[in-house]
Amino acid sequence: MQAILAAAMAAQTLLFSATAPPASLFQSPSSARPFHSLRLAAGPGGAAAARALVVADATKKAVAVLKGTSQVEGVVTLTQDDQGPTTVNVRVTGLTPGLHGFHLHEFGDTTNGCISTGPHFNPNNLTHGAPEDEVRHAGDLGNIVANAEGVAEATIVDKQIPLSGPNSVVGRAFVVHELEDDLGKGGHELSLSTGNAGGRLACGVVGLTPL
Amino acid sequence: MVGFLRALTAASAVPAAAAVAAVALSTNSSSSSRLRLPSPASLPSLSSAYAAAPASGSARKPNAVPPMAAAAAAATATADLSAAADKGAALPELMTEFMVDMKCEGCVTAVKNKFQTLEGIKNIEVDLNNQVVRVLGSLPVNTMLDTLHQTGRDARLIGQGNPNDFLVSAAVAEFKGPVIFGVVRLAQVNMELAIVEATFSGLSPGKHGWSINEFGDLTRGAESTGKVYNPSDYRFNKPLGDLGTLEAGEKGEAQFSASKEKLKVVDLIGRSIALYATEDRSDPGIAAAVIARSAGVGENYKKLCTCDGVTIWESS
Repeated sequence: MQAILAAAMAAQTLLFSATAPPASLFQSPSSARPFHSLRLAAGPGGAAAARALVVADATKKAVAVLKGTSQVEGVVTLTQDDQGPTTVNVRVTGLTPGLHGFHLHEFGDTTNGCISTGPHFNPNNLTHGAPEDEVRHAGDLGNIVANAEGVAEATIVDKQIPLSGPNSVVGRAFVVHELEDDLGKGGHELSLSTGNAGGRLACGVVGLTPL
Repeated sequence: MVGFLRALTAASAVPAAAAVAAVALSTNSSSSSRLRLPSPASLPSLSSAYAAAPASGSARKPNAVPPMAAAAAAATATADLSAAADKGAALPELMTEFMVDMKCEGCVTAVKNKFQTLEGIKNIEVDLNNQVVRVLGSLPVNTMLDTLHQTGRDARLIGQGNPNDFLVSAAVAEFKGPVIFGVVRLAQVNMELAIVEATFSGLSPGKHGWSINEFGDLTRGAESTGKVYNPSDYRFNKPLGDLGTLEAGEKGEAQFSASKEKLKVVDLIGRSIALYATEDRSDPGIAAAVIARSAGVGENYKKLCTCDGVTIWESS
């Protein structure tokens, strides 16, 4: 019984720590409120400052056109509102039916193939995982699923791939793999670094696009 | 080797903070990025307050351009690229890192001796354990690669510029065919200067306009890359992103290496390089490639792709 309780507490701690960073910014609704009223009280000057902030945080967009050595190709579009999560729309054609690992690598340089793209984009220095895992590379976007016609379409919403700032994904490369990403759980020696997803089928650099 | 790395780290530790501050300044305040050079455009009074930071930042760098030369280049901003387009024109000094297929001390000696016969090489470091050769000098990348190949060893460029000095020290745009193939490398030398090097094949013989365009959107090829990149604070007649013309020979190949004033690699990430059929870029463009982040010196010693088991010597 005690063990169950301890496990439950541990789980809760984990959950809490997962939400801790944003929570610490706005400690509680009551502490957020004075900030809100302060802005209201600031008058015209405050309103202008708020508007400037909105302009700086406008919607950002990016796109990557994927090309491969085979007939695999695709387009990935990314959209981010303010500082919110990034929505990634993926459409890749020419795949074999089934699951294919889909990752973002640190560099967009493919002059030496997969080697010059560096590792999976991993600014927090963690091990490989599933997109929903707490411990994952920022560039771990899991798998995309190709249908019987070899077309994979997916919409991914993710918080770790912003379109601006030091961890911006612009200029880095998306890679579609031959095999399924085991999401770090396959027990293979490569599971915790790459998900054992096999060779590259196609890749593309994330570029800026007009809004 | 460890000693060298330690020295490198120690040497970069102190100026790193200043460099970061300077980079932060330049990226955040794109409206006042001209901080050090006297330029035809009058400087905003605000920027003089910041001048101390980038000045100290560039003074410590051995490869900073002499102010006279820089000023002269700025004055002839429209001529800087075309003048240096002839191959072999001296480039500003930069650290470039190669992975070279070396297996013994003899290889190290051979590589060092070969480089010491060349002009424009200031220093060369060989790290046999990692199979890494670091060259500080003013030679084009292709010349250095040719030199390494002449020693009978495979060699690949793996890093350019000091990542401790700049947010992004190197970038690359790769043209992947099916007709036009090419690689354009951009490397930051100091706050005011970047190197542009390019190799193309598959062009029609003759002159082609080329430029850095504002977007890296290749959904409709070069056509969707927008206008020529020109930051709002760049006040010369020609846009900053205008790279002039490339001249392809009979075989459809073109090579280019030059330094360009005011170019900041970090501001180019995610934009594109576009090639045109015509000299004046009046057509929609024939090919384009996104400007991608690339490794600085020491940032990527990967030799094996763990996804597919391909080694750097087999990669393409």
